[in-house]
Amino acid sequence: MKLFLSGNEAIAFGLVEAGVRFISGYPGTPSSEILPTAIELKRKYGINAYFEWSVNEKSAMEEVTAASYANIKSAVTFKQVGLNVAMDPFMNTAIVGTPGGLVVVSADDPGPHSSQTEQDSRFLAFFAKIPVLDPSTPKEAYEFSKQAVNLSKKFEIPVMLRTTTRISHSREDIEIDEFNFKDDTAVKFDKDTDRFAATPHFRYLLHKTLNEKIENIRQKNDFKEYFRGKFLVITSGVSFAYVCDIIEQYNLESTVKVVKFDMPYPINFDKLQKKIDGHSDILVIEESYPLIEMQVKNRENVLGRLNGFVPNEGELTLDVIKELFSKCGIIKEKKEKSITAPPFKRPSLCPGCGHRSAFYAIKKVFKNRAIYTGDIGCYTLGLNLKAVDTVHCMGASVSFAFGFDKSFSTFGSKMPIVATIGDSTFFHSGITPLINAVHNRASFLLVILDNATVAMTGNQKTPQDETDSYNSTANAVGIENIVKGAGVEFVETEDAYNIDSVTDILYKAKEYILKSNKPAVVILKHPCVYTKEGLSENIRFKNVFVDKDMCEGCKVCIDNFECPSLIFKDSVVEIDQSTCINCGQCVVSCPFGAIKVEQ
Amino acid sequence: MKLVILGVGGMGAISLSKILAQIAIGKNLTVKSTEIHGMAKKGGLVEIYMKIGEGVSPYIPQKEADFCIVLEKLYYNYALNLVKSSEGIVLLKDDDKRDILKQFGDVRFANSFILGKFFKKQDIFDKNDAVGVLNTFKMPDKNIKAFYEGVK
Repeated sequence: MKLFLSGNEAIAFGLVEAGVRFISGYPGTPSSEILPTAIELKRKYGINAYFEWSVNEKSAMEEVTAASYANIKSAVTFKQVGLNVAMDPFMNTAIVGTPGGLVVVSADDPGPHSSQTEQDSRFLAFFAKIPVLDPSTPKEAYEFSKQAVNLSKKFEIPVMLRTTTRISHSREDIEIDEFNFKDDTAVKFDKDTDRFAATPHFRYLLHKTLNEKIENIRQKNDFKEYFRGKFLVITSGVSFAYVCDIIEQYNLESTVKVVKFDMPYPINFDKLQKKIDGHSDILVIEESYPLIEMQVKNRENVLGRLNGFVPNEGELTLDVIKELFSKCGIIKEKKEKSITAPPFKRPSLCPGCGHRSAFYAIKKVFKNRAIYTGDIGCYTLGLNLKAVDTVHCMGASVSFAFGFDKSFSTFGSKMPIVATIGDSTFFHSGITPLINAVHNRASFLLVILDNATVAMTGNQKTPQDETDSYNSTANAVGIENIVKGAGVEFVETEDAYNIDSVTDILYKAKEYILKSNKPAVVILKHPCVYTKEGLSENIRFKNVFVDKDMCEGCKVCIDNFECPSLIFKDSVVEIDQSTCINCGQCVVSCPFGAIKVEQ
Repeated sequence: MKLVILGVGGMGAISLSKILAQIAIGKNLTVKSTEIHGMAKKGGLVEIYMKIGEGVSPYIPQKEADFCIVLEKLYYNYALNLVKSSEGIVLLKDDDKRDILKQFGDVRFANSFILGKFFKKQDIFDKNDAVGVLNTFKMPDKNIKAFYEGVK
């Protein structure tokens, strides 16, 4: 059957088709659609499998490693920075190996479009000494997923499938093989402490085995050749697709020869060098970092990132590659074309988002006299309300609050510090630094913005949910219990929409943290209005409007409340009815009482 | 054919690209698309590139698109930078949206309407190709009617 699949969907199809029956992961753009597709396949075809989100990438990586020890074909999915979180088990899984087979799907985001870094996951495959496959189209993502499973099973080595935003979020017509579910899954665990509980002495031997595996794979790793010209382009991944398009557009079939690596690590150095030796002009084009380029033995005639010819940051788009071709004199662009950017519209929390009400109350109490440590999620956009000063990585709001508190209280005077974190991010990485804050007597306010979902990446479920991804019963884990269990004494919970009551609680919390050496935690709940249930159950007035006679046009509401439904027109504020959800939360933001609600 | 679709989050730009893909697959043509997610659902721009019957990557450099379907007039000027000629722009006007809402009770039928408007301009698909796909929809009659409103 022919389906129009995204790269991420194609990866899920490939994995499941190749017999993967255990998938774990943590959501993160651009990787988030892989696991839900697998979950959908399991549901649709009644496959016996364990496909479910985990609490963070490290746990996910360890869960799938154990599954592969239990002889189950497994996979883990996350975005590139998620791989950083999983690095500890990732490195060790490479050393020990994966009896059942294990594919590590890491989605890179050059640009970046929605990430903190532009890092190249392939380098971490290189670092761990495991093979990495680099698809150039969704169709290849489908094929390579299957290859990755088989390669991993054959050599008992984890295999990385590196995808990028342009592959994950592109779609293509793909011929999907008929599913047959005669799978060979047979759970067993052959105990072998020298391997699975190896002491340092045995680690040395395991490392030797890993080296033998990777050398074996290197010897068999062939590149593909396309076209017949003199100018040699060495490439992999999405860059290959761009190069092909340019060759077609400019009829370069007899000017350029393309060497393409499906597997950019480990490369057979000698074979590649032999190919290169016949050419005097060589250009290496690969998305992210110079992985293939660094594996070229003699780089004398090689243009690439290492000699600064190819830009070392930003996405390697088709336009950039065209420019490189033009710099090499292979193509002649008639006129210098500059790229026009689309009109910029600042991203903003959704109209009616409970986070906005929470940030508004926080700013009301702490004003501009606190340090605001933020975190990764929708609430990063607390930036717009000037209630976020730092954003670093998952969970860092809590540890940053710790670090700021200790710095100021040790080297200056006590500073009010407010950390904001979402519910899922708290589960992911916020708990451990909170334990450290309790134990080591740091004082700051941690506000947990609890919208009961992973909103930023497509509303996946969190450990608080009473059901799993299949709507079967799951055990709900309460945030308040965790916070109290960690030893926090000041714990208050309130609906973020009750701004007056929230304000009172925040004043009390402020007093508490300034007087004590202890952290305070305030949990502000409000369901995400981007979900169907959240929106339908949200408070809805008949009408929310601005009394034009009373509006002074001071824009205090727009500046302080920052709802995209508040718009300034003809010297007064009005409400954009096409986006307003009539929650009435903005009423408090007008100093003149000009924003009114109709019951 | 190189086609770009511009819209804002939640306006159905992605479903429109999927309808077009289904039509292309029905005609045995290759089809590729790429879209920018991320902050799009926060009211930002959704930009979708599609190549039908050509290409290895779905990306289309500026000034090289044959057509650009613009679902939000804010992006009309930007669209001018994407197409070979302004003739290739298919714009969903505010008046169109209002009429659709009035006539069909839901602005979402604008997708079928704009599909019709686009079909009038291009020559690789036949109207029946679209009707075949629209027939598989939940409310085929209304969608087909909206499509023909666009073709008019």
